Amino acid sequence: MNHIKTSEPRRAQITRKGCTRVLLSCISCLSWLSLLLCANGPAAADEKLTFETHVMPILKAKCLSCHSGERPKAGLDLSTRRRVMLGGKSGAVVRRAAAESSLLWGRIAAGEMPPKGTKLTAEEKAAIRKWINDGAVGDKGDSNDPVEGATSAEITDEARQFWSFKTPRQSPVPRVNSTQRVANPIDAFVLQQLEASDLSLSPEADRRTLIRRVYFDLLGLPPSPEAVDAFVANSRPDAFECLIDDLLASPAYGERWARHWLDVAGYADSAGILSEDRFLPLAYRYRDYVIRAFNKDKPYDRFLLEQIAGDELVDYWHHYENDDALSEEIIEAITATGYLRCAPDSSRPDFTTIKNADSQYFYPTINDTMQIVSTSVMGVTLQCARCHDHMFDPIPQEDFYRVQAIFMGAFRPTSWVPQMERRLTTLSKSQFEFATGRNKEVDENVKKLEASVTALREQFKKKRFDKQLAKLPEDIREAVHVALTTPADQRDEAQKQLAEKHAPLLQPDDKKLDELLPAEYQQYKESRAELTDEIAVEQGRRATYDEIRALYDLPGEVATPFLRRGDALTPGHTVAPGTLSVLEQAVPFQWQRPPAETKTSGRRLAFARWLTDSKHPLTARVMVNRIWRHHFGEGIVSTPGDFGRAGSTASHPELLDWLAVEFVESGWSIKQLHRMMMNSSTYRQSSTAASNDASQAIDPENRLLWRQRLRRLEAESIRDSVLDVAGTLRPQMYGTTIGLHVWPDGEVTVHDALDKYRRSIYLQYLRLRPVTMLNAFDQPIIEINCTVRSRSTVSTQALTLLNSKLMTNAAEAFARRVLAESSEDAATRAVRFAFGRVPGSDELQSLNDFLASQQQLHAESLDDSASPDEARQRAVADMCHMLLSANEFIYVD
Amino acid sequence: MYPLSNTRRSFLRSAVTGSLILPGIIEQLLADGRDPFAMREPHFPARAKNVIFLFMTGGVSHVDTFDPKPALHRDVGKEIKADHPEIKDRPGYERIFLKQPQWEFSQNGECGTEVSTLFPHVATCIDDIAMIRSMHTSHSNHYNATLGMHTGSFAFSRPSLGAWVSYGLGTENRNLPGFVVIAPKQTYAGTQVYANDFLPAAHQGTLVVPGAEPIANVKPRVPTDRQRLELETLQAMNLAHLDARHADPELSARMRSFETAFGMQMAVPDAFDFSKESAATLSGYALQPGQTTGFGWQCLAARRLVERGVRFVELIDTGSSGNWDAHGDMMTHVGLAKNVDQPIAALLKDLKHRGMLDETLVVWTTEFGRTPFNNSADAKGREHHPWAFTSWLAGAGVKPGIVHGATDEYGLRAVEQPVHVHDFHATVLHLMGFDHERLTFRHAGRDYRLTDVQGEVVRPILV
Repeated sequence: MNHIKTSEPRRAQITRKGCTRVLLSCISCLSWLSLLLCANGPAAADEKLTFETHVMPILKAKCLSCHSGERPKAGLDLSTRRRVMLGGKSGAVVRRAAAESSLLWGRIAAGEMPPKGTKLTAEEKAAIRKWINDGAVGDKGDSNDPVEGATSAEITDEARQFWSFKTPRQSPVPRVNSTQRVANPIDAFVLQQLEASDLSLSPEADRRTLIRRVYFDLLGLPPSPEAVDAFVANSRPDAFECLIDDLLASPAYGERWARHWLDVAGYADSAGILSEDRFLPLAYRYRDYVIRAFNKDKPYDRFLLEQIAGDELVDYWHHYENDDALSEEIIEAITATGYLRCAPDSSRPDFTTIKNADSQYFYPTINDTMQIVSTSVMGVTLQCARCHDHMFDPIPQEDFYRVQAIFMGAFRPTSWVPQMERRLTTLSKSQFEFATGRNKEVDENVKKLEASVTALREQFKKKRFDKQLAKLPEDIREAVHVALTTPADQRDEAQKQLAEKHAPLLQPDDKKLDELLPAEYQQYKESRAELTDEIAVEQGRRATYDEIRALYDLPGEVATPFLRRGDALTPGHTVAPGTLSVLEQAVPFQWQRPPAETKTSGRRLAFARWLTDSKHPLTARVMVNRIWRHHFGEGIVSTPGDFGRAGSTASHPELLDWLAVEFVESGWSIKQLHRMMMNSSTYRQSSTAASNDASQAIDPENRLLWRQRLRRLEAESIRDSVLDVAGTLRPQMYGTTIGLHVWPDGEVTVHDALDKYRRSIYLQYLRLRPVTMLNAFDQPIIEINCTVRSRSTVSTQALTLLNSKLMTNAAEAFARRVLAESSEDAATRAVRFAFGRVPGSDELQSLNDFLASQQQLHAESLDDSASPDEARQRAVADMCHMLLSANEFIYVD
Repeated sequence: MYPLSNTRRSFLRSAVTGSLILPGIIEQLLADGRDPFAMREPHFPARAKNVIFLFMTGGVSHVDTFDPKPALHRDVGKEIKADHPEIKDRPGYERIFLKQPQWEFSQNGECGTEVSTLFPHVATCIDDIAMIRSMHTSHSNHYNATLGMHTGSFAFSRPSLGAWVSYGLGTENRNLPGFVVIAPKQTYAGTQVYANDFLPAAHQGTLVVPGAEPIANVKPRVPTDRQRLELETLQAMNLAHLDARHADPELSARMRSFETAFGMQMAVPDAFDFSKESAATLSGYALQPGQTTGFGWQCLAARRLVERGVRFVELIDTGSSGNWDAHGDMMTHVGLAKNVDQPIAALLKDLKHRGMLDETLVVWTTEFGRTPFNNSADAKGREHHPWAFTSWLAGAGVKPGIVHGATDEYGLRAVEQPVHVHDFHATVLHLMGFDHERLTFRHAGRDYRLTDVQGEVVRPILV
């Protein structure tokens, strides 16, 4: 029986139902033929044969070794009924109820297929012929079009039973032995598994460690020495809870957590692809939207609804057409759709004339957008189903195009709107019409005024010409006049010479005239000043407004073709909008085609409502897992972008589901999730462990969470913390991006301006020119999006810390701060800033030894004019530089 | 475990007088196999220890350089039919005609292989070269074909060939990166051509832009004596911090990265300092003393990096404009060939002279060829041609002075022993000691490899 399994390595998920049933009922049968007969008995002449029961076993045994897989012979895949009906390179192979004119039957009847190996028996041939003549139906009967809409029928119940495709349910909170460590149900779930392995939670971390952990987790910044002291001294029983609440209320929280979301959304400030990496000046509004959303604790369901269908959610077009002005809520909602504008889009107006631009430039944008949505929100690798059915998950290729149809109303590869023309404004229609009317008026008036300026200049130019001419000696005056008023190409040699000599004085160019005339003619000066003022006044009347890089549907009907092998050049049948078939039982997708005159198709809103349904199996789990990851260093599912079969299994499946249900029931509050996770004993336990720890032997990877995980700061937190400790970080929030500077050696740094001291989230994020320092510490290069950052340890990081201008400047600023702010000795003060603790006596001695040696080396190299403090200051800066480079600074316990 | 608890000061003192770090401690700390740079054995004994990969950007015309087609002269102007991706549905390309090559070919060396007058210097090395005239690729866009030639993937970003080699073999010289890309500009697909993608970040190509300071932040900020003292203090702090945290190996890995960085500060400037090269060597590469740009500089730097144990050096000649993409005028090939011809020949001769060619594989390629036809026989340029082009290999393990495969009489299709990009990659990996089907990395639930599910080693060109 082994060959049954091995012959279906890929499509197992989708076709398993049919074959398992056969298998189970005929486990003792010895051959396929007898199996067929045994399973069903000789088919009665009046019984309709069906594909799964009667034909599939034959094809599987004799045909699929060539006609299935990624490159089936002749493009003909016989592994499912739908694929058989799709046909191959020669077109359709089955004509219903007409075996004699079906290619499939023709080749089989002629004995041409299979070309080698065991031929079909007479009974097998007869079965195929009868099946075609019976209407080529499947087990579930017939549908008029076997190609369209037949997908969910192929999803088996078994496939639906995969854990992440079922709606999460809360199991009862387990009873554990260490009840004193159960601060909330999280601990009970974690302890249950620990105790089963003879493990327990590590002791609670000390307060200095805890406050540092909480600060970095929530703000991405270190606590000040004063904050540490206050927390250590706080004797209130709820001191820790209050600390968390305080930090969640800090605006820096949004700056930290927006960055996590922007990774999965694939946010960048440039359009990407090819060598042109066009800057997108409006993208930052979406970044600001995300920061605000986190700070406001916008419910996650609303957050998704706005990002996927903000325009439809608030009925943008209705308000646009009817309101005097758009409310903040509406502007916020359309800004949110910037999420769907994150995918790389290099399109310009001239791209539409490029041959096959839709498949080269435009389809990739919609495909990447789908990948962003599916990996960031749904935890499925939908992109794997673009060219063929998903290899691991029960996602038929059809599903890919059903989801593509959701976004097709806005992205239409065959009638593309170039990206910079795809934007909305903050104005209502009446405001917009007023603004365009006003600006047209301004343009016309300015044009008139500029004409007056020209006329005025001409008038005085002539006056000046006559005046200057009169100054010439009488004998040449007329000749010069004639020479200069003759067009240049008609002058004779003598005239040319005259012109060359006198033109500079008599006929200066307009730029020169603008300098000369006001000095020479008071009247000109006054009239000109009046006109300049008038132009300024007129320009001041110009209506200005903000533009938003939004996504919105284009008017009119749209069809979404199924693309054979994912190729835009081989479009197939039209696909209706839908979602993943495997989830349809858990949460049905509900969408009604709107009336023809409606401005938007409602597809995205229907999709977003489907996603945010409280019963959705994936949405809450995926987000809970992401938040968990940022508090515990690793997700409960360690592949946050893939909850499918190829993803990793959950370390604590019941906990994940418990949290997912809590999340939904709390009204999708992210801040509430932070509180729950961070107040658990599991979160608060110590992270340190010696390599000979007994627990280390049982669970070396700490999968069961017997200790908190040591974590390295992310790139942005390293930079932000360095600036913060140096005392130079500027807290200014929001707004346009901060420019970058590319050095000849390729290093990219922040442009030298005051702005360079702002948090990293505000720096330009360019796809092809990443900031060298951030890139070294694994800030991802955004191609599509990033669901998990890598965490590398390479020497270029060390070089950046040792030698970069950023670090040198920060160390110097840090040294000034240490020397200026405190009565404490420099080493103690510096360690408190950098590590949030007081140095031990040995450590202090070491640092002071270092300062003494280093000061001496500096003194030797400085010339006599340097102030006596200079060597000291430099030595302290060197010490600060090393503190900022130390493991203790970069890693959080 | 380690006697650290109360010895911080004594450690520091001993370190001040001794070497930078207590020798051996970090080696011990890292003995758990997580070091991405550790030397690893290939699948079988390798013929090549290093690769120098010369990439000509834009699509070099095979029929004008290394693949002579007398029939194009004979049949110039003849109308042909071709279901070619570049002319499909393209206005003005309803009819196409053969266009003749603009440069003469001559036989060279003992092997007699023909090379056109565009590459007179390379022609003098022809007895060391195995020419593959039957290359073909899967895409006719620069972006996709360039990506394909570097990563084996024509659509998605995947690890680059150099990253795979670095991942497979580790590094010989910890003071230098294992994979270096020297390019004056970004080519098509930008950083993706030397990306590590899902492989550990240590294997990504380090970009060197020809110029006075080739790698960012490598220049020490302070004199060595002060930096030494600083690093000793830093490592003492790190060692103390490590005390209760031995279960977290990345801490010691990070300590080691500072040691490597310290070494790189010396090793990198040294590798790019040509002042000790003889005048004869410099002039061989067409370099003036003190010159820090040009393809000659790139070639000499490649030799010096390979000498110092860098596994994979890629040289890219130009950027995504002003390159070999001669749609408008084939004459642009003259300057581009002149830019690289003498330096490439100098590199081959220099490697041979130093006995390095036995262990170094030199690869010359481009992303695709150029059409033997155009929409008129008088058209000055040629279009993108994925169906056929020429690449060549020389050095370690490669049969010298041979031609492998052939195109049809017009250079339209690779007809004899065609070599796809995947086969080409499989061959390079083979020469490095790898079975391309077994050099894999588990990512997103499956094992990925450079050659995807294809690739066959081109055995006839192997010694």
